[in-house]
Amino acid sequence: MGSSGKPPSTYTPAPTRGSRPKKPVFTDSDVDWERPDGRGFHECRPALFKTGLVKAAAGSAYAELGNTKVIVSVFGPRESKKAMLYSDVGRLNCNVSYTTFATPIRGQGASDHKEFSSMLHKALEGAVMLETFPKSTVDVFALVMESGGSDLPAVISCASVALADAGIMMYDLVAGVSVSCLGTNLVIDPVSEEESFQDGSLMVTLMPSRYEVTQLTVTGEWSASKVNEGMQLCLDACSKLGEVLRSCLKVPASD
Amino acid sequence: MVGLSAGEKNFLQGGIDQDLRSDGRNRNTHRPISVETGVIPQANGSARVRMGATEVIASVKAELGRPAALQPDKGKVAIFVDCSPVANPVFEGRGGEELSLELSVALQQCLLGGKSGAGAGIDLSSLMVVEGKLCWDLYIDGLVVSSDGNLLDALGASIMAALSNTGIPRVQVAAAASGDEEPEVDISDEEYLQFDTSGVPVIVTLTKVGRHYIVDATSEEESQMTSAVSISINRKGHICGLTKRGSSGLDSSIISDMISVAQHISVQLINKLDSEISAAEADE
Repeated sequence: MGSSGKPPSTYTPAPTRGSRPKKPVFTDSDVDWERPDGRGFHECRPALFKTGLVKAAAGSAYAELGNTKVIVSVFGPRESKKAMLYSDVGRLNCNVSYTTFATPIRGQGASDHKEFSSMLHKALEGAVMLETFPKSTVDVFALVMESGGSDLPAVISCASVALADAGIMMYDLVAGVSVSCLGTNLVIDPVSEEESFQDGSLMVTLMPSRYEVTQLTVTGEWSASKVNEGMQLCLDACSKLGEVLRSCLKVPASD
Repeated sequence: MVGLSAGEKNFLQGGIDQDLRSDGRNRNTHRPISVETGVIPQANGSARVRMGATEVIASVKAELGRPAALQPDKGKVAIFVDCSPVANPVFEGRGGEELSLELSVALQQCLLGGKSGAGAGIDLSSLMVVEGKLCWDLYIDGLVVSSDGNLLDALGASIMAALSNTGIPRVQVAAAASGDEEPEVDISDEEYLQFDTSGVPVIVTLTKVGRHYIVDATSEEESQMTSAVSISINRKGHICGLTKRGSSGLDSSIISDMISVAQHISVQLINKLDSEISAAEADE
């Protein structure tokens, strides 16, 4: 996280060249490998969040975690479509898409990522006060502009800031962090290279001030103690990320 | 959607609080499970699983295909779930799409492990025929025939039963083909290799209703849930996947608690399924 007191207003990412040298494959034996970006195993990438970039939307947010860049716009609340059944709580309509240039190979990310869309919905629905907008729908559209690993947690954190920016009533912000299991090591906030070699992953989304988990997913084979270890790591990082999200909302939207 | 009156809701909640549910079960007991294998002759393996009034069918089809360029030493597995309008009229047209997707993703997460293939319930390297050229593609299809809650656990069990019923034909590769040539193969009609299911996990969903969580919820109970955690656990007691559903947040200590309860329940469930599957195989 940013070391200076106030969040930097601009952030210059490390330039990424088209042909990056391939990183060696991680194996169980080499424990003292270095992470591709030189971070410690339990160190997150610096996070930058900014609100109000999309003028047409009710609320929007932009997030940059290393090379992962996402933008989320929130529209509404608007009247639910006639075809929808009557509902005394509001609806959250989530959509996650990738730009064609988000991935190293063009068009590899889906333009309509159904799996992430449903995960985003599940992570947010517990935090939004749906009963405050009955019969209405709020649209949350996320666009991954560059995929640099940990895309889904970045989208979720960014979406919660965008919802707050749109003035949608929420119990709390939602911060998402994932860890990858590589051999016997747990690395937090993995980049794409690490994700493609991972043996398992764990993602936690947390409402920091209530300290409640809104979504938790585990893939790969884990022992119960390892799940707990990974969960603690994530919970810690989520609380810290929560501070960053909060401070970004306090910065008055300039220009 | 289950419509319950205030009185019914109260009764259901009260029963769960007192560890006696409306159908006479405890919080941690499953409904009776019955397994039937080999129900679809055209498939390589199939099974029908009933858990109370929930009924699902799983079929496994194997086709020869080309391995993915990034993983030349592994076969491919695809899992799809279809929610038929037979089970519930709301599944008609695109109505079941969302639920189908959710179930397929959850099953993929539970059975296929991490991206490197580690911890996968289905051993992908056993599907290899000729490295980089030929492999088996397994298509696992789940069908919801009747829906009365706990679909994910039932689908997980039916896939486990279908896989243990699956025979993959032995393939003879005639003369190692050089270069880009397609290898010539001879698929045996008689010799089948039994699929190894020792690594396939079971799924245990704990549904939180009020202050307590229950196992194997009916759809009435599911309508009252605040959140549900599905945990897949293999024979070693390791967690192979976990996802959460439902709107309310959970405390992290409750999640750890749920994991240990699920590990305990999974042992009983695996034993139960094993005996049901072997009984079904003997009947066939």
